[in-house]
Amino acid sequence: MPEKDQFQTDARNAGNRLVAGHVSEDPFAAAFKATRMPMIVTDPNQSDNPIIFCNNAFLRLSGYSDDEVIGRNCRFLQGPETDQETISKVREAIAAGQDVAVDILNYRKDGSQFWNAVFISPVRDEAGAIIYFFASQLDFTNVKSREADLAAARHEAEAEVAKHTANLRSALEARTLLVHEVDHRVKNNLLTMASIVKMQARVTKDDGRRQTLMSVLNRIEALSTVQRKLFTLDDVSKFDISEFARELVTDLVDATGRKDIRLTLDLSPLLVPAVKATPLSLIVNELVGDAVRRGLSDGGGDIHVVVRRLNGHFLIRIEDTSEPVEPDIENAELGQMLLEASARQLGAEIERKQDGRKTIVDVVLLVDDHQENTH
Amino acid sequence: MKVMIVEDEMLLAMELESEVEMAGHEVTGLAMSRSQAQEQIGSSKPDFAFVDIHLMDGPTGVDVGRELAAAGIPYVFVSGNIKKIPQDFAGALGAIEKPYTMNGMKNALAYVSAVIAGDASGSPPVSLVLAEDVTPAKPQS
Repeated sequence: MPEKDQFQTDARNAGNRLVAGHVSEDPFAAAFKATRMPMIVTDPNQSDNPIIFCNNAFLRLSGYSDDEVIGRNCRFLQGPETDQETISKVREAIAAGQDVAVDILNYRKDGSQFWNAVFISPVRDEAGAIIYFFASQLDFTNVKSREADLAAARHEAEAEVAKHTANLRSALEARTLLVHEVDHRVKNNLLTMASIVKMQARVTKDDGRRQTLMSVLNRIEALSTVQRKLFTLDDVSKFDISEFARELVTDLVDATGRKDIRLTLDLSPLLVPAVKATPLSLIVNELVGDAVRRGLSDGGGDIHVVVRRLNGHFLIRIEDTSEPVEPDIENAELGQMLLEASARQLGAEIERKQDGRKTIVDVVLLVDDHQENTH
Repeated sequence: MKVMIVEDEMLLAMELESEVEMAGHEVTGLAMSRSQAQEQIGSSKPDFAFVDIHLMDGPTGVDVGRELAAAGIPYVFVSGNIKKIPQDFAGALGAIEKPYTMNGMKNALAYVSAVIAGDASGSPPVSLVLAEDVTPAKPQS
């Protein structure tokens, strides 16, 4: 087509004029030609803004020869998968005479694709009119494919994590279910044990035997109260000895129905490892039971229970003011054994002070943070 | 008062029956399932009921509770897992957590029978978790 030939001739002439404007040793022109970065210059004053000059790097990148490039609009680099919005963005910037930088999917002469980071900038004359557009290209296909590889690896890792999470979650659910089931059975068994002892106590005609059975029942029920208070905190490995003491003491004193036994409590939350719950609770049960039994004599009395930290240690104090009463020897002996065994297990110190009608028993549990955190 | 016991562990039910009778009340019957409970609600018209959540036919204690509430019969849940009780407490006065102690049950029973007899002056025992302490009060309609 002669018309097309004419365009190409015009474009080449324009390119030649551009080069002729520079002396052959002009370092800028030499750099333009020799640089590894693909570059082109277009002439917006010719029809369809054709390429009038390109360097060797551009020919290497695109796979076209110089003849195939000069005189053509850059759009021959586009292909079916080139993003239309990106094309519009470039077109609008050129129409507005503005700089534009885009990442665009381009095609080589052989049809292969490459990711092109294009920067286009208008070149103006002294009067400010646009005489050329300058465009640099950068093939970043490698970066793109690395990104794709990374994304694929990430998806794979995420899928793996999701799979493991699902496994862990179902294992956790199974464990939770099991703990609930075991907890439920333990609770039922404790109540069944207590019921059997109560039944025997009901059946027996002998007061002494009944007393013995009630003394056993009392200790079983202390364990029942422990079991009820386990797993109630957010941290299931911990047990609040204060909460236990509050329930045990008020239950015991309320059930006496005696208005002349006056109970006062000074309780701060005191979390102990769940493994310490049983011996500690048995200690509290013995001491409180002892105080209540003394208060049960005709005069009634005051019972004061303190649970709090003391110099980093745990203090449980049971204070009562009441007439001394003749203890049930067997019960007292069992109580003493339980106290000693529990104290030994916990490494706790029990100190008893007697001052007239007033009895003060201090239980000091020596704990450091390490012990506090072990299970 | 006339008390119904809904509990599938017969040993526990019988022991509770003794406890209730010792406190001077009459036990109208022991029910181990929802259908047994339904039958007794209709026939024996109890004044009050203890209701376990897990019965022979599954966790149907809550349904029994709703039927009691519909019949205007006050009741408390007796359960090893009071967290399983629905948010609205299904119309129950409260709940006693298993394994309850003899004293705990005694105190709860004394409080409940006083309330049902119209005496709300006492303070609730620690062994009884009151529904009104757990669920927000519903507006009176």
